[in-house]
Amino acid sequence: MNIPEQLRYTKDHEWAKIEDNTLRVGITDYAQHEMGDVVYVDLKPTGTKVEKGDPVGTVESVKAVSEVFAPVSGTIIETNAALEQSPELVNQDSYGQGWMVVIAFEDAQDLEALMDAKDYEEYLSAEAK
Amino acid sequence: MRTPLFHEHEKLHAKIVDFHGWEMPVWYTGIKEEHLATRRSAGLFDICHMGEIYVSADESLPFLERVLTRDISSMEQGGALYTFLLNNAGGIIDDLIVYCLEPKRRFMLCVNSSNKDRDYAWLNEQNSLGAVIEDASDAFAMLALQGPASGAILHSCLGFDLEDIRSFHFSMATSPAYGEFLISRTGYTGAGGVEIFLSPNGATGLWQAFIAEGAVPCGLGARDTLRLEMGYPLHGNDLSETTTPLEAGLGFAVNLQKPDFIGKQALLVQHQRGVTRRLTGMEVLERGVPREGCLCLKHDSVVGIVTSGSISPVTGMGIALGYLDASVKEGEDISVDVRGKHLKARVKKPPFVSGTL
Repeated sequence: MNIPEQLRYTKDHEWAKIEDNTLRVGITDYAQHEMGDVVYVDLKPTGTKVEKGDPVGTVESVKAVSEVFAPVSGTIIETNAALEQSPELVNQDSYGQGWMVVIAFEDAQDLEALMDAKDYEEYLSAEAK
Repeated sequence: MRTPLFHEHEKLHAKIVDFHGWEMPVWYTGIKEEHLATRRSAGLFDICHMGEIYVSADESLPFLERVLTRDISSMEQGGALYTFLLNNAGGIIDDLIVYCLEPKRRFMLCVNSSNKDRDYAWLNEQNSLGAVIEDASDAFAMLALQGPASGAILHSCLGFDLEDIRSFHFSMATSPAYGEFLISRTGYTGAGGVEIFLSPNGATGLWQAFIAEGAVPCGLGARDTLRLEMGYPLHGNDLSETTTPLEAGLGFAVNLQKPDFIGKQALLVQHQRGVTRRLTGMEVLERGVPREGCLCLKHDSVVGIVTSGSISPVTGMGIALGYLDASVKEGEDISVDVRGKHLKARVKKPPFVSGTL
């Protein structure tokens, strides 16, 4: 399972990349693997204000529907339009071209609740048991 | 419960899910890849969870004539028929295939795994005639080899010529490596091919041999998208004890000329009055995935409900089966409510893909 060192993680299997005052968000390799072939991604529009834990979008595989949650409170300032035509990018490159939204966060304190790679790895192995 | 092939699925790192109490592979590498492999080449499915029930003795013919909806008396050895077990109201207890092992005397019913116990109990309840009914499900493994390359793979693995069997017919054969098997020209994918019943002891060897010859292992996920793309109904989703074969558009598998069978009176009444709803195909014209339970709307009033829905891996379009008011006609545009979004959809008679791809 691929868990990049430099990213932060949530218990709902989102990854978050801190870029100055914004957070780029997607779902983890584990999440895409569990879902199977992603066939549809529906993201909240740019400008949407979200509270931490609010859905920022929906990811659908052939079998399942999952929501993607905001790891922090803030405003969605960018969404990945490429996923509209190519939802399979979520499977092929979940940490890269499969990113979903960028959130301008309000409170840097929110970041402290996110897991680092080591914590997330431990969380995954605990969940598998 | 596990099938005799469970270890093979583990070796292939399949994603395993619970399916009515069975630990079954839902996919190995991915539903889309497996789906397309079946359409273009050959897919291999573990369907050992299916149920097999023998019905035998002289009483078997009058008994099956009474509980099944098609004409069993004219079945010849080697014949197979798609038919139903109905309740008195004409509702579908199960859809199944009956295989004629010996005319008028010995038959095998291949039934849905989730309904097997219900079927077996129902058959016994109805068996005032004294036919011998035996649940033989544990004695069988069952593999489906489906797709255009099935013939070549069968030939190399079993020395068997697919062209020797007609559609909805079967042969019995014995192989030194895999024992005795029943090979049937049936399937649930629309891609052509066979279903094979054999002893659980022979299953792993045959599974491995098919894969070595190029068959792609496919999970229940691809099995579901393949059948949905063809518009084949699934009991539990599209068929139930509260829907009839006439509503499901499966009248071809009901013989209303037969003297009597359980459910016939109810179907005759429905036939005369006409059905008020029909199982219908729908193709979604906008981005989105229709799912079981989504409401279907026409001019903002509800005209039906989706009973199976997904994305066609071939066309990338949302496809669905559902019950719609009989007033809604093929080619009409409706909408499907997918979590509050009304997606434009067109009523379309399946299959959603053409036969040759």
